[in-house]
Amino acid sequence: MKRSTRWIELSELDENRAAQPPKFGHRARRSRSTWPSFVAAMLAVVASTSVFAQSDTQFTKANQEFAQGHFKEAIAGYEALVRAGQWNANLFYDLGNAYFRTRDFGRAILNYERAIALDQHHPEATANLQIARDESRALELQPTRLERYLQFASINQYGIAAAIAFWVGIFGIVGLIFARRQSAALILLSILCLLVCAMAVWAIHTLDNGSRGRALAIVTGNDVQARLATADTANSVLALPPGSEIKILSTRGDWMYAALPNDLRGWIQTKNAEQVRL
Amino acid sequence: MFQRISIAFLLAAACIDFAFADAPSVTAVLSNSEATVGETVELQIKVAGPGDARPPEEISIDGLEIHSTGTSRQFEIHNFSTSSSVTYNYTILPLRAGRFTIPPQTVRAGGKILRTPELALNVADAPGRPPPTTTRPGRGTQSAQSQSTNAGDLVFAELIVPKKTAYVGEIVPVQIRMGFDARVHPRLTEPPDITGQGFTAQKLQQSSQNLETINGRPFEVVTFKTAIAAARAGKFEIGPVKAKAQVVVPRKRNAPRSRSPFDLFDLDDPFSDPFFSNPFAQFGERRDIQISSDPVPLEVKPLPPNAPPSFSGAIGSFTMATDAKPKSVQVGDPITVTTTISGRGNFDRVNAPLLEDDRGWHKYPPSSKFKQDDEVGISGTKTFEMVVSPNENKQSLPLLAFSYFDPAKEQYVTLHSEQTAITVQGGAPQPAVAGQPPSSSPATAARGRPPAPNSIKPQDILYQLTEPSRTVASFEPLYTRRGFWAAQSIPLAALLVFAGWKIRRARLDDREARRIGALQHEAAELMHKLRRDDASPREYYAEASRVVRLKAALASGNRGIDPNVVDAETAAETFKLDTDSRDRLRRLFEQNDEWQYSGTHNGPGRISPENRRDVLELIENLK
Repeated sequence: MKRSTRWIELSELDENRAAQPPKFGHRARRSRSTWPSFVAAMLAVVASTSVFAQSDTQFTKANQEFAQGHFKEAIAGYEALVRAGQWNANLFYDLGNAYFRTRDFGRAILNYERAIALDQHHPEATANLQIARDESRALELQPTRLERYLQFASINQYGIAAAIAFWVGIFGIVGLIFARRQSAALILLSILCLLVCAMAVWAIHTLDNGSRGRALAIVTGNDVQARLATADTANSVLALPPGSEIKILSTRGDWMYAALPNDLRGWIQTKNAEQVRL
Repeated sequence: MFQRISIAFLLAAACIDFAFADAPSVTAVLSNSEATVGETVELQIKVAGPGDARPPEEISIDGLEIHSTGTSRQFEIHNFSTSSSVTYNYTILPLRAGRFTIPPQTVRAGGKILRTPELALNVADAPGRPPPTTTRPGRGTQSAQSQSTNAGDLVFAELIVPKKTAYVGEIVPVQIRMGFDARVHPRLTEPPDITGQGFTAQKLQQSSQNLETINGRPFEVVTFKTAIAAARAGKFEIGPVKAKAQVVVPRKRNAPRSRSPFDLFDLDDPFSDPFFSNPFAQFGERRDIQISSDPVPLEVKPLPPNAPPSFSGAIGSFTMATDAKPKSVQVGDPITVTTTISGRGNFDRVNAPLLEDDRGWHKYPPSSKFKQDDEVGISGTKTFEMVVSPNENKQSLPLLAFSYFDPAKEQYVTLHSEQTAITVQGGAPQPAVAGQPPSSSPATAARGRPPAPNSIKPQDILYQLTEPSRTVASFEPLYTRRGFWAAQSIPLAALLVFAGWKIRRARLDDREARRIGALQHEAAELMHKLRRDDASPREYYAEASRVVRLKAALASGNRGIDPNVVDAETAAETFKLDTDSRDRLRRLFEQNDEWQYSGTHNGPGRISPENRRDVLELIENLK
């Protein structure tokens, strides 16, 4: 009896809502607060679509400039997109090509490296990077044997593997805590997962701080000399052709201390090199 | 008593032995039979044997000054054998060069007249040595003398510069000799330092330490080596060399003392102090002294003009050798050219040789390593490794040129490497027209491995990618992004749910276990009561039916039947009883109802043992 009465009340309420807009009540308040959010979301979608459309236009225009041989204009167009944060591997690859055509091999190599940093398996960027290096005789940092082995996966892949292994291991341990009988298989699985997690974290640390890690920079200036001290008159350690790889160790004013090819170290002016990872 | 006898025996033995000792004898020795003018030699006349001895009278020889410096006596007992001797000491100072003979001297000993053997002393002029006065020990120690009159005679410093003239940048080897009287236990507190301006000095290296006799006195001479290079032309004074040391000198005494054998001319030799003859008689005094040498003049000339292009400032005398590997390469392959420059000079200014004609070659910065052959790095071998790669077909390596200034010849010298033939494959043929430079532009030169000679094309980059990307990528690693860590909240929430579910399930299991335990406990208690025969029929049937309900509830398992709602039919169904047992169970529940609700029973007031046995048997069979 009570149940049927309640049903009648609800059905009446629904009819009232259909007839006139609700003025009071919890659902009415929620509906009122959802509207601005919905509108904001829609505006964001529209804005992002607009931005994408605009960037597409700019990208197409830069490509047309490139095709017409106006490489400086093409570079300006690509650089504008880079400054706008519309980063993707193809953009950096095309920008690298534009710099290559202007014979600025340092920046060409820098942008190919950026394309590869965003997409580890970018075949065009890899091929053009090799050509640019041959042209400029750029020097490369030699990764350690360990780094070479660890580079079969990217840092992001190691990150995902570490997260999955961690949670599987933790679930296994929680299951073991509440289980009536301790399963040897579950114990082994948990230990294995936590080991995989630890190894993945170690691989991330090794790669991130390695020769191709976050400190990797490319020499973009011409006639760059790495020096023993932070002075133009200091003795030269190594002449670095444009596009040479260095690893920034520390920065002091306008100078940065870097690990150089051939296991050397020296000071380079910051204006002569740019970091690969933006 | 025994001790007295022993002493007396020993004294008697000594007297007997002394009485029958050998006859007295005399010997005479010179501390050195070769000497130079001004260098003192010691003469010792030793008279061995019993009895008093009288020393020889004054020894007088033309050209030698001989002075008696004292007498010493020795008395020794060895295995009950005694011996005594007297030594007369003389110091001989040669005044001129020549061969001198010291004739036999007459000595009276033990009532006998003894004669010493004839001795010969060869005296030479002092070649390149300082005068026989205390010049050397005292030289260059002005500041030391100002601090300690005695210490000034104990140390000296000497700066030896082998050249009087040099060129700007030329390396001049320099030697510093520091001498300390061997008896002063010297300790350098500050190493020697060459003062002066207009030159650079390399780090001092201690090369040797030996004992030398200077003016008849032993000196510990420490030799340091370094090299200096003048920074500009002009006349300079190198030095003085300054150093600080601590030495031990005897304390000053007010009382007159006997003269030392070294103190011939009353020069107040500090070692005439008894401290040095008997260190335990009194203690010496450690003093800080400053040592300095005389400066040495050096004239520095500028380098002549018109230096060759490959001159990098190297001054000295050098030779050059070149090698290259491999000698057969493809265009673009690296060739390591090793150049070895050996010799003597300022190796810090020796740079890698230059390619005389680098057209058609790409060169990388050279590396160098230096292996020095001496202590200060003036002579050695500097090896340069330079990587060059041909941009086109070549038959030989480019010539290398290295220039230096030879101060001996006073002219620039340019060394050239020998022509090294190589084979370069895969490149376009070298232009036959002399003077027309081949293109050195990297863009036009072939790279990598061309398929066939004479068809080299510059490798071009791949096409543009015109397809726009819909996704915006990030250089930040995944683990630094907020989204990654926000995503971890999903498995975290799942973990919390999982843990909560596990905890709730454990609690439920625990509650059920406690309920079953309570039912089992109650059933056991009731069974215990039923086995006793002191209960009234009302209580007995109530407890019996309660046990049946409990057992039925326990047997229901997961269904979790409440024992209070179990009736006869439910219990019979639960235990799947046969008809007979079912009837008996039904009758048990009926009797219980009768006793509970009517308060009386149709039967007797007490339960017969047969009935009890029957009920117990029924209950115990409920499984």
